[in-house]
Amino acid sequence: MLVGGHGESNPNTTWLQSRGLWISYILGVLTLHLILLSVPILSVPLAWTLTNLIHNACHFVFLHVLKGAPWIPQDQGDCRILTHWEQIDYGQQFTATRKFLTVVPIILFLLTSFYTRYATGHFIVNFVSMVLVVLPKLPQFHRVRLFGINKY
Amino acid sequence: MATQWVLLEVFQALNEVPFYHIFLEVGLLMWILWLIFHKSYNPKELEQLTDFEKEKLIEEWTPEPLVGNVAQNHPSLKPRMVSGKAGKFINVDGHYCLNMATHNYLGFVGNKDIEESAIKTLQKYGVGSCGPRGFYGTVDVHLDLEDRLTEFMKMEEAVVYSYGFSTIASAIPAYAKRGDVIFVDENVNFAIQKGLDASRSKIRFFKHNDMVDLERLLMDQAALDKKNPKKAQVTRRFLIVEGIYMNSGNICPLPELVELRKKYRLRIFVDESISFATLGDHGRGVTEYYNIPREEVDMISCSMEWSMATIGGFCVGSSFVVEHQRLSGLGYCFSASLPPLLAAAAITSLDIMEKDPTLFKKLQQQCQLVHKALSTLPLFILQGDPDSPVKHLYLRNPPNCTNHEFNLLSKIADFCIEHGIAVVTAAYLQTEKFTPRNSIRVTVNNMLTGDEINNVAVVLEKASSEVL
Repeated sequence: MLVGGHGESNPNTTWLQSRGLWISYILGVLTLHLILLSVPILSVPLAWTLTNLIHNACHFVFLHVLKGAPWIPQDQGDCRILTHWEQIDYGQQFTATRKFLTVVPIILFLLTSFYTRYATGHFIVNFVSMVLVVLPKLPQFHRVRLFGINKY
Repeated sequence: MATQWVLLEVFQALNEVPFYHIFLEVGLLMWILWLIFHKSYNPKELEQLTDFEKEKLIEEWTPEPLVGNVAQNHPSLKPRMVSGKAGKFINVDGHYCLNMATHNYLGFVGNKDIEESAIKTLQKYGVGSCGPRGFYGTVDVHLDLEDRLTEFMKMEEAVVYSYGFSTIASAIPAYAKRGDVIFVDENVNFAIQKGLDASRSKIRFFKHNDMVDLERLLMDQAALDKKNPKKAQVTRRFLIVEGIYMNSGNICPLPELVELRKKYRLRIFVDESISFATLGDHGRGVTEYYNIPREEVDMISCSMEWSMATIGGFCVGSSFVVEHQRLSGLGYCFSASLPPLLAAAAITSLDIMEKDPTLFKKLQQQCQLVHKALSTLPLFILQGDPDSPVKHLYLRNPPNCTNHEFNLLSKIADFCIEHGIAVVTAAYLQTEKFTPRNSIRVTVNNMLTGDEINNVAVVLEKASSEVL
């Protein structure tokens, strides 16, 4: 797919600013949770943990692991070394989009902890998954590749 | 009921949670609150200048004159005037000259068949195609031309561009991106240099046609790749050469280049603007000249403005490679397509070339004859392959100053024009990467007779002895 007709050489920078994205996002997570809840063999705590894990896995893969863009950006490969998170809002920190995406996994963690009745097993799994998606969102980790993982 | 029970249990559990957990949750809640109340930056605000910044920019700006102070005797102030068709003969400033500066190697300019087909298409489709190829600009003659080019070059696919210069200048940045490495001859033409600039890749220049120098650079790169194999995995390595170099008239040593391609796993692009329809028994260019299977070359790009007597350019290669340009070649996507009449003219040129392969043999003979005649000139050094239609004449005893050298060569060209032979000094921009040495560029076409060739040598000799 070729992009650029709307003036963005790489739409990854701006599409998350779209109107209605936050409500759609929340509805999406809710739908996932309801689907998991409706599976008979899954208990309530397990459904919450699974919601959290699936959500965080999506964050981790699509925002922090995959680099570049799924289309052909007109930027001569500038975004080839950047993850999607680093491309958002041209790398500007503390924008509304970034704050929203940082707050969602934390709130989800708090809710999950609450509904899993603070069981230690659930807590460890959920906490680790939250740290994995929140740490790389910090401004201090912008364009940092710890131990050279995923560098090229 | 059941939910109430769950909630009740949860609140009971809350009473029993360990202290660290409460601590953590409070911390996280505080962080959320901090994020919410911390000032958000609006990315759109950053793009706009404040009034103060605007004022400052306006104040800082000092207008430059459109035309600076130019010396009264600057060559651009007295341009040469050409009137009439520029075919085998040309009228320069009122002097009727034999045209030894035209890139019309096969003599197709003014060909009746080509003109007729162009006029017929003009009457059918009008002048322009009124849109880029992907946006209502594709007309059947474009598709026919692409098919014919594919067939002529015996490759898988061709894409046609609307301007010769933008062909290679768009093709290079369509493939080579930031982080890639391009190995390129330092004598390449200006269109390739612009393509290299647009690619944002790392450019490594090797000395003109010097395979030892190229291999040295390739070995450097191989050593770097060995040190960092992960980086090497995502680095593409390109090799870009011209079939016949416009700036030197030499033919690239393709067999060696193809060997190096295999050894160092390069992608090789050949710009055949001059060599297409001049080299090889059927005019298929430098690959046919060296008898190398065309699959060994990843892409061939070519301007149609020299031998084919039309406008535009094309790239041919495997479908896998060339297809990419239909969405990524900027000159292809964002430029109105080739006017149909010019595409029809190109098809007719191909018809003539296919019908009569002796054209190429004749051109080869003429090139060799001109080479022989010019190499006897005592005050010039001749550069260029005997088989190449482009030849450069350098002064044998050049003055120290390049401007002076250029003036001398201009005077020689003026003298030649006054005596009925049109030759030009090769013009380069000061911004070119490695500005080539000043020279007189002589081109060969297959309409020349033996007498005319001898006359060219005689006039050039007279001019040089007169001026120097």
